[in-house]
Amino acid sequence: MAAPLALGKGRRIPGPSRRSLLAGVAALGALGAAGCSRVATASTENGGDLLDRLRAAGVVRLGIAGEIPFGYIDKNGDLTGEAPELARVIFKRLGVDKVQPVPTEFGSLIPGLNSQQFDVVAAGMYVNPDRCEQVIFADPDYQMLDSFIVRKGNPKGLHSYQDIVAKKAKFATGTGYAEIEYAVDAGYKQSDILIVPDQVAGLNAVEAGRVDVFAGTALTTREVVKKSSKAEATPPFAPLVKGKPHVDGGAFAFRPTETKLRDAFNAELHKLKKSGELFRILQPFGFTKAEMTDLTAKELCGG
Amino acid sequence: MKWDWSAVSDFLPHFWDGLLVTLQALALGSVISFALGLVWALLMRLPTRWVRWPVGVVTEFVRNTPLLVQLFFLFYVLPEWGLTFSALTTGVFAIGLHYSTYTMQVYRAGIEAVPVGQWEAATALNLPWRRTWTAVILPQAIRRVVPALGNYVISMLKDTPMLMAITVLEMLGQARLYSQQHFQFTEPLTVIGVAFILVSYLASLLLRALERRLVR
Repeated sequence: MAAPLALGKGRRIPGPSRRSLLAGVAALGALGAAGCSRVATASTENGGDLLDRLRAAGVVRLGIAGEIPFGYIDKNGDLTGEAPELARVIFKRLGVDKVQPVPTEFGSLIPGLNSQQFDVVAAGMYVNPDRCEQVIFADPDYQMLDSFIVRKGNPKGLHSYQDIVAKKAKFATGTGYAEIEYAVDAGYKQSDILIVPDQVAGLNAVEAGRVDVFAGTALTTREVVKKSSKAEATPPFAPLVKGKPHVDGGAFAFRPTETKLRDAFNAELHKLKKSGELFRILQPFGFTKAEMTDLTAKELCGG
Repeated sequence: MKWDWSAVSDFLPHFWDGLLVTLQALALGSVISFALGLVWALLMRLPTRWVRWPVGVVTEFVRNTPLLVQLFFLFYVLPEWGLTFSALTTGVFAIGLHYSTYTMQVYRAGIEAVPVGQWEAATALNLPWRRTWTAVILPQAIRRVVPALGNYVISMLKDTPMLMAITVLEMLGQARLYSQQHFQFTEPLTVIGVAFILVSYLASLLLRALERRLVR
């Protein structure tokens, strides 16, 4: 027998009373607090045992940001880029045979590393003091200048962050990029910056006329404008930081507890630098001798 | 779990900016969806199938494709054809258009629920069609559907974070930007979560008051 629906005209369907609602919210809160015990960030003593665990597993997970030429998935669906290729060589020597890519947004690389989504950031990430507080870096495998994507012919004549401020150009860059700080240092208002997900969206913003300029590394901008008929990259330049030209270096990042792995990685990296193999690995991705470097992570961390 | 109140206060200025953008998107999106939905609903009642058929196809298409895809399309593809709008304009239009295909069904139901006697009375009084609609049918139809429209306002509020994908810095966008710069996720995301509860609760109170006045 079907129970008659007692919904007379104009009668309100009774919702939960205010008291039971509050009780429910409180219960949820308690549940949330109880479920929030932190994930342990591996064993913290003796510089971590990640390298041993990676050797046992035979595979290391690399966080990449899909940026040509630093770390990306190519047309055939294979992982490549300067950082993954370098990682392949170094990790093989460390006894880890396979690398597995974990693609994410650039701005999510450090949070992803610290929340164990992957073991190493292999995205050619610039070493800077802010990031050094969150992760530890190997020594840089390349050094790099900045460059702008502008419309063909650079109609506003933009060649530095100071030009952007002086000529009131509209500025865009990527999520979590170091370039945000350079622009703010030069006097650009942070809330006026258009933050796009990656350099392709940046190129699109310039082409569509939403902004006048997108800032990125000299190499990414050079690569991404190759396919464009409406935009070009400006000649590379060194951004001013506290009044001094600043050269950036990109490196692998590790969780702060994994100093053992970082040191082992550094040792192999230095061997590759000495033998000139590093240049041979990076060359196919458009790197030149001018981008090889002796900078150390310590110098770039500013301490 | 670490909770850092100074991160909350650092985030607050960004939060207010984001809240403002969210409310703008919500208000303008609602207006567009309510107006456009009514237009769709009325067009669908025209006797000629040369209007009904294309309107039906377009609205079915919009309703059956994801809002996120529409956002990306409007933001990244339209400029290739020379149509460039700001991110917020694009977002407001996309939300308004998407939800208008839902509100049109709400209006349709409301119009169909007006008793036949009302139509017959209008005919008997020899009211012109314009007056039949504006003075007899629509006032009754819209009253009936206010609660249902209100639900879509709340629903739209919960879809505004999608605008983040096209670089609009609404609440979630601001929270994420802050998190990525300061590497603190708990505080900003909690703040905007609470803000969403508050805004939708306030909106539902407002709508309930409106309902009480209009629906008898």
